[in-house]
Amino acid sequence: MFGVTALLFAALQFLSPEMRASLYIKDPRQLSAMEAVIEKYGLRKPLPVQYGIWLKEVLKGDLGYSETAKMPVERAIRAFFPATLELTLVAFLPILVLGVYLGTLSAVYKDRWLDHLTRFVAITGYSLPSFVLGLLLLMVFYGKLQLLPPGRYSLDVDLLVHSEGFRHATGLLTLDCLLNGKPAAAWDVFKHMILPGATLIYINLALLLRITRSSMLEELGKDYVRTARAKGLPGSLVVKKHALRNALIPVVTLSSLLFIGLLGGVVITETVFDYPGIGRWGVVAAQQLDIPGVLGSTLLAATLFVLANLLSDILYAVVDPRIRIG
Amino acid sequence: MIRNFSTPRRLKNLLALLLTACVWAAAEAQIKNPDTYTYLTLSDADSMDPAWSYDTASHNVILNVYEPLFAYEGSSTEKLEPRIAEKVPSRQNGLISPDGKTYTIPIRKGVKFHDGTPLTPEDVRYSILRFMLYDRDAGPSSLLLQPLLGYPSTRDEKGTANPKAFQDAERAVRVKGNNLVLTLPAPYAPILTILASWAPAVSREWAVKNGDWDGTQAAWLKYNNPKKESSPFFERTNGTGPFKLERWERKTKEFVLVRNDSYWRTPAKLKRVIIKGINEFGTRKLMLQAGDADAITADRSVLSQVRDIPGVEIIDDLGTVQMNPVVYFTFQVNTVANPYVGSGKLDGKGIPNDFFSDVNVRKGFAYAFDYQGYIRDVNRGKGTQATGCIPKSLPGHNPKQKTYRLDLEKAREHFQKAMGGKVWETGFQFTLTFNSGNIPRETLCQILKRNVEALNPRFRIDVRPVEWPKFLDSYRASKLPIFVMGWQADYPDPHNFAFPLMHSQGDYPATQKYKNPEADRLIEAAIRETDLSKRKGLYARLQEIEHEDAPHLVVLDSVAYRAQRDWVQGWSHNPIFPDSPSGSYYYPIYKAPKPKGGAGGTGKGKG
Amino acid sequence: MSLLGFGLISFFFAVSLAAPVIAPAPPNSRDPYLIPQDGYSPDPVLPGPRHWFGTTEQQYDLYYGMVWGARTAFRVALSVVLVSLAIGILLGGIAGFYGGWVDEVLMRFTDIILAFPDLVLAVVIVSVRGPGLDNVMLAVTAVSWPSYARLLRGEVLSVKERDFVLAARALGGSDLRLLFRHIIPNSIYPLLVVASLSMGRIVITAAALSFLGLGAPVGYADWGQLISLSRNWILGTSGNPFAYWHTVFIPGATIFLFVLGWNLLGDAVRDILDPRQR
Repeated sequence: MFGVTALLFAALQFLSPEMRASLYIKDPRQLSAMEAVIEKYGLRKPLPVQYGIWLKEVLKGDLGYSETAKMPVERAIRAFFPATLELTLVAFLPILVLGVYLGTLSAVYKDRWLDHLTRFVAITGYSLPSFVLGLLLLMVFYGKLQLLPPGRYSLDVDLLVHSEGFRHATGLLTLDCLLNGKPAAAWDVFKHMILPGATLIYINLALLLRITRSSMLEELGKDYVRTARAKGLPGSLVVKKHALRNALIPVVTLSSLLFIGLLGGVVITETVFDYPGIGRWGVVAAQQLDIPGVLGSTLLAATLFVLANLLSDILYAVVDPRIRIG
Repeated sequence: MIRNFSTPRRLKNLLALLLTACVWAAAEAQIKNPDTYTYLTLSDADSMDPAWSYDTASHNVILNVYEPLFAYEGSSTEKLEPRIAEKVPSRQNGLISPDGKTYTIPIRKGVKFHDGTPLTPEDVRYSILRFMLYDRDAGPSSLLLQPLLGYPSTRDEKGTANPKAFQDAERAVRVKGNNLVLTLPAPYAPILTILASWAPAVSREWAVKNGDWDGTQAAWLKYNNPKKESSPFFERTNGTGPFKLERWERKTKEFVLVRNDSYWRTPAKLKRVIIKGINEFGTRKLMLQAGDADAITADRSVLSQVRDIPGVEIIDDLGTVQMNPVVYFTFQVNTVANPYVGSGKLDGKGIPNDFFSDVNVRKGFAYAFDYQGYIRDVNRGKGTQATGCIPKSLPGHNPKQKTYRLDLEKAREHFQKAMGGKVWETGFQFTLTFNSGNIPRETLCQILKRNVEALNPRFRIDVRPVEWPKFLDSYRASKLPIFVMGWQADYPDPHNFAFPLMHSQGDYPATQKYKNPEADRLIEAAIRETDLSKRKGLYARLQEIEHEDAPHLVVLDSVAYRAQRDWVQGWSHNPIFPDSPSGSYYYPIYKAPKPKGGAGGTGKGKG
Repeated sequence: MSLLGFGLISFFFAVSLAAPVIAPAPPNSRDPYLIPQDGYSPDPVLPGPRHWFGTTEQQYDLYYGMVWGARTAFRVALSVVLVSLAIGILLGGIAGFYGGWVDEVLMRFTDIILAFPDLVLAVVIVSVRGPGLDNVMLAVTAVSWPSYARLLRGEVLSVKERDFVLAARALGGSDLRLLFRHIIPNSIYPLLVVASLSMGRIVITAAALSFLGLGAPVGYADWGQLISLSRNWILGTSGNPFAYWHTVFIPGATIFLFVLGWNLLGDAVRDILDPRQR
């Protein structure tokens, strides 16, 4: 994790102090104050010194202040991350389940119409930039049908969630609403995740589907499968018990990468649907050179990554007993 | 049997009642959230502290929650009406001294802050002192420091605070009885208009209670140039305005304002105002269409997409107080490590550092630009050509001032004269920059490039977008041979345009290294002159010099448009109000079905 | 099916080769990749005799953009994918094969890169180096290779314990030979699949970066840039949501066909290479 932050810090130092000061100077009228701003934020100090200062603060528990989020970095993380987590959970499970299921089906019925159809549909999702899909979905489901609005919640839920008695237990608003005994509000929050979730699902399905399919094809062509079939074992049993397990190795790798990717936030989807997640914050921070913000969100991503790695290493071992851990 | 007869009648009555209710409900149901007004904007606000913020997004909220001494009457940018003040000082009512240096401002009685405490003249004094002495880097404090103290900063170039600043400030701002008395070192024409947009009244008691400056000399240095988020004013407010800030939700980028029911005038009609930042135009448009938003920010390039939405009205041709875009020439370009000047010499592959100090070069460019074409194509024909640095909506604008027109013959003439003919013979090459993402400016650069290159094959111009950070870098180092920028008014007075664009110490000329002593003299005289017609004369002469010297090219006196739902009533335009015309002063606004056209006017069917 | 894939890609390839002929750059233009503008008005114009594919906002000719965009697409996609594959295979193969501390070090490094949310890293790189297609390629390569490395490593870990490898080892081959002749060719399938999808994906990523204002400059012949220009026009006018359909459809369909082509081609290649599928 140090590596991540050190690398990032180093990259950012390629920017001159003037460029980094632009975070604080937004308007040509303020240009005369440039030098003072540079002084104030210590932008001229040598790289290791600045990194050391930052590190010291972090170890003290102070992640600094994110100018683009207008709040301390830790508050920003606590504000944005649960939203992203919720959306990721809503989107990831269908991607995984559908991807594996359809991919397997595709492999088993290779070259039949089912195969072609699923691949075709998946490819359309894959070859569309997310904002095109997002805006089209928004236009249909919000513009025409008025069913699914953008944002995190509607006006009344907004007031509810910020009212006095509301307990924020998990940060996952759907759960929290249920815990507070407000199922209607929970449904409202969930409704707002349907469109961004659908966008994410449609776009990411292709990859998982293809990997599963090709992996399965490989497995199905193997000798032990042919043997098992010859022995008279029913097809589906063969598929499920043996082939699938072996085929899953690359699937595991990819889905953990995908999960991390989603957790890292999906800035474009968030922008289009006005969803307050980590992605939007992270990218805007990077664009505006809000260094504490970038470092903070990256640190978060790095932590998640480490955790997910552990998880997927465990899964490797489960799926393929031949891999020795260690 | 009795039942058999009375039921149908009762039933009929009931049905009639139901029907009426339905129709009425339908008419009402058309207006979403009738007592809540939602405005969707682009930019992020910086801070709620009136002494800190210099951006329009923050100011839009600040001027709805806090109130300054004065305000503009209706749509006027010249006529003031009293707000926190009881009367507007003038020569006639004797509240401005004959030498123009002392202003006596009676303070309104009976005004309360949102926390219930009464507003006193002491609070007003505190507000102005705090606005000036806070003086954060790149902040607005100089707007009052300059007129009231005579110098623009409480710190010198090294950043050391001037210990005399407090004394100078407290001498300049005094309380006498119920009046606030301002004593200026020299007459300053726009002082009152500055006080109509800046330094609104804050409560000293509230400030002290929440850990901010107590107004004394002992503590002022501690609060000079502090960190933004350390002040209670950053995210909480306690003003006197028609709305209170209930919440600034930075996660979802929204402000929630609620009505102040103890407002000193009749309380606002709206119960709640929500201002939300949504970056994606498509999303904003859909929300306006659905009625979930009552007004949105939309620029001219997407007008065709908002124009025909049922239920949405467009109000166009609204004046502005800005000069945008303006093409600036850098008279002394810093050619060290400069990727934009080519070889750095007049050899056909670059430009020398004093390329633009030759007036013939500048005039060549001036005649090569297609002003009308720009207005027609980029602005869809809206707006008029600017005649000088002072925009149309302000006094001092001279509609008769001669302007440049596209005239390739004249352009050729000037280029041929430039640098004794050498420019024409050897040609030149340089890079023209604009800040990336800004399409009108990019188009401007393209037009200029095309027309100039067409004059002589040895003239070569590259057009490049530059990211804002990189732009600042290069700008500060005077590396940009030509740059295109805009200027938005701080307050509606010609000085606010004349100084930054034409005075040698103004923002732009300082970087351009342009100096014309006559221009400086005119500007300095005009700021001291309180007779309006004399001022106009001075500015007229200034703009003549501007035309002759052509240190920059002004292009457009722009007009803006507003897109709102047709059930929004009570809005009126004032170009100086922050974020206008999309953002506004929310006090007079309310939502009601559009008057007239009631006969089957909905055409949308029952709700 | 694979024939279709091959056909599509060849078509695009031919177009990109023929670009200067079928869509000649206007005289005076110093860079043929800059799309000519017909005036400056902001509303896109529907396809017609003057502009076969219509124009985008600011009147960039879509036909020209599509043709030269084919060149850009190949240039960008091929360089990014080939370079990332090369780096990924090298590092992933070595890591998986040698295991131990080599694996640890290499994978930690890969992890560091992977830990960055994609776009953040790309944005940082582009912010530091400035916008422009070359920096976009650099940024996308930088975020792509780790996935290949990890994938390959995973495969290698599993393949290297397989019988035929153990057999080859017993026969006494050198490490390098073992790695390159036996292990990598058998581990490479998932990578080929990912790579073939990636070819098209690169264009989408470029569109994403353009959406954020960091891709090729506006007016450059790049499909991603052109489709991101459609963002304000997707919704059309209120009476007619398809008023500007061509701004989305034309670059969108082109990208789709490009991705489809590479997919089918990738499948075909895999079918050919996989000895067990015969």
